[in-house]
Amino acid sequence: MSESILLTDSDEPALEPAVRQLDGWVIERVTAGELANAVAARPGVRAVVVASDDPDVLRAVVERAHSCGVPVVVACADDTARRRAVELKAEEWYRCPADASEIAQRIRGAVGRGSPPGLSEDRIERVEYEQMLHDSLTGLPTLPVMIERSRGLFKERGELVVLYLNFVRYSKIEEIYGWEKLDAVLETTAAAVREFLDDTAMSTSRLMVSFTNDDDFIFFHVPATGVAAASENEITDMVARLQRHVAGRIEAQHGEDIAALFDIYVGRAHVYYNPKIRLERLIYRGIREASNAARSIEERERGRRVADLRSSLRDRAVYVDYHPIVVTDTQEIFGYEALARGVMRSLRSPEVMFDVAAEADLVWELSRLCRSRAIEGIETRLQPNELLFLNVDPHDFSDPAFNEDEVKYPERVVIEITERTAIKDYPKFRERLRIFRERGFRFAVDDAGSGYAGLGSIANLEPDFIKLDISLINAIDTNFIKQNLVETMVKFANDHGAMVIAEGVERAEEFKTVKDLGVHLVQGFFLHRPLHLPLPPAVAAAKG
Amino acid sequence: MPNAKLPPILVVDDNHDNAEIVRQYLEMRGYPVSVAHGGDEALVLFETIRPAVVLLDVMMPGRDGWEVCRVMKQHPTLGRTVRVIMVTALGEWQDKREALQIGADDYVEKPFDLPKLAATVQRNLAMQREMAS
Repeated sequence: MSESILLTDSDEPALEPAVRQLDGWVIERVTAGELANAVAARPGVRAVVVASDDPDVLRAVVERAHSCGVPVVVACADDTARRRAVELKAEEWYRCPADASEIAQRIRGAVGRGSPPGLSEDRIERVEYEQMLHDSLTGLPTLPVMIERSRGLFKERGELVVLYLNFVRYSKIEEIYGWEKLDAVLETTAAAVREFLDDTAMSTSRLMVSFTNDDDFIFFHVPATGVAAASENEITDMVARLQRHVAGRIEAQHGEDIAALFDIYVGRAHVYYNPKIRLERLIYRGIREASNAARSIEERERGRRVADLRSSLRDRAVYVDYHPIVVTDTQEIFGYEALARGVMRSLRSPEVMFDVAAEADLVWELSRLCRSRAIEGIETRLQPNELLFLNVDPHDFSDPAFNEDEVKYPERVVIEITERTAIKDYPKFRERLRIFRERGFRFAVDDAGSGYAGLGSIANLEPDFIKLDISLINAIDTNFIKQNLVETMVKFANDHGAMVIAEGVERAEEFKTVKDLGVHLVQGFFLHRPLHLPLPPAVAAAKG
Repeated sequence: MPNAKLPPILVVDDNHDNAEIVRQYLEMRGYPVSVAHGGDEALVLFETIRPAVVLLDVMMPGRDGWEVCRVMKQHPTLGRTVRVIMVTALGEWQDKREALQIGADDYVEKPFDLPKLAATVQRNLAMQREMAS
């Protein structure tokens, strides 16, 4: 490759070492008067450094250089020269004297900026194009890439098994914890999947994985020559092992609550090569078939869970975890948030349990059971000065069975209402709140700041407590925007006589940050693990 | 005069005067500064100078700051380490939430005072060092 020439009228000694820092560049010196003509005459010139303080020379050089598409760096002795450089739209400038690395950087910058218009667009398109081919998060190829890669193999071997891995409730992780958490979980998942493939027994055949834009994975299994494609049993076995492997990794890195949201449903399709049909169409059809199969397995599983839920409601088989809420400054227990969980494995996660209830139209029944189980703890679990934080869905207020007389100690109960649920009839809702408030109940806005709504909708509910959305707390120590938002919220709370609760505090750094920001109360594994309410003997027996 | 040890900063603003003011101020404090006047130009420079910190104006014609931030943060090699500071006249809750959603690290409101801007750059560089170690 021919060398790039840096043309200059400057005799600054730092130019030599600067040019050495640029790969494949040489320096050529001419007088100031010759500079403009030399730019046009020498084809290898990639940049010009002008030091002349003569404005006419500077103008001539910049104009000439730009007409040849060569970027200009102005070496400025003073502010006047700098102003001229900017006015003349030189690509870069630096103040003399400058050291070699700065000069090198200016030249690099000028070259990057001064490239002819078409080129820069191409570069961005290339970056975007690359991002489309490989998912930046998981590092896995996207579908079009994988189809290209498997084309030859598929044709040669004549068959291909498509496995569609549907990770259910990953969207729930994002809803609750925010996209950063799901990103991290997907990264763990992809790493675990790759790890699994590396030492899986089907290594005699080609197994390729790709990622679809949302949160699903697709495996292509192409059997090796002379080897039969994996049998149904082999695949079922592999999927079970994969599920265990990924679940284990997720639990180790992200904890039990997130692992409880994790489920894979795998659908499969067998595709045979047919020269009459376009290969990519065959594969896309296979993917669709596999994805439908995954969905129908999910449907079946859902039916099973509804049956589990019905039997749980009958046996009152939910238990309650009491998550301590502590005073930030003194670290004394202020109260507990009650979180009901299903005794049956399939309903362990509260989110899953309520999802199932919503599908089966059993939300009120489940809410009633969870509330009554949670309230039992006021007498059996809590100290007399401690408050019970109770999750209540706004829709529960329309349940005739839910009323202000349900609880014996209303002044010890804080009703948490999530900001996420849209409240349809505001005046009616506020009227219900007023009745509860008069009885002594207090209110907390849950998941505050999760949306774009800001503080107005929070003010509407006149809460006594504001519970910050977990996504604002997660890694707050490294994100200044989160800190700013939480600070705004604390100020708002102080102005309105409310207290702010930070939920999901898991690390010392997060605790320190929220403490510094003036957050009044803190909840999370960093300070305390949840308390379990002992199960009634009949339920304990069923669980065992 | 720029100090070789300080990491490069990319200033993105379609307003040339604003960009120049920020460049001068940061250069006086020793940072090597490059300037881009639009989103596309910013993305090209992003790859060539590999800035540690990007000061990114939100309101720009063409690719706006949000989009530029998103592309930078998704960059396969540079996206993980770069700190992006959104610079904007908007200062509402909604805009900060948007900044968070898009993956930005910090936020400066316009009209900014320069010392505060420098402090913001500094704290992001400090955070970057801490996360790297």
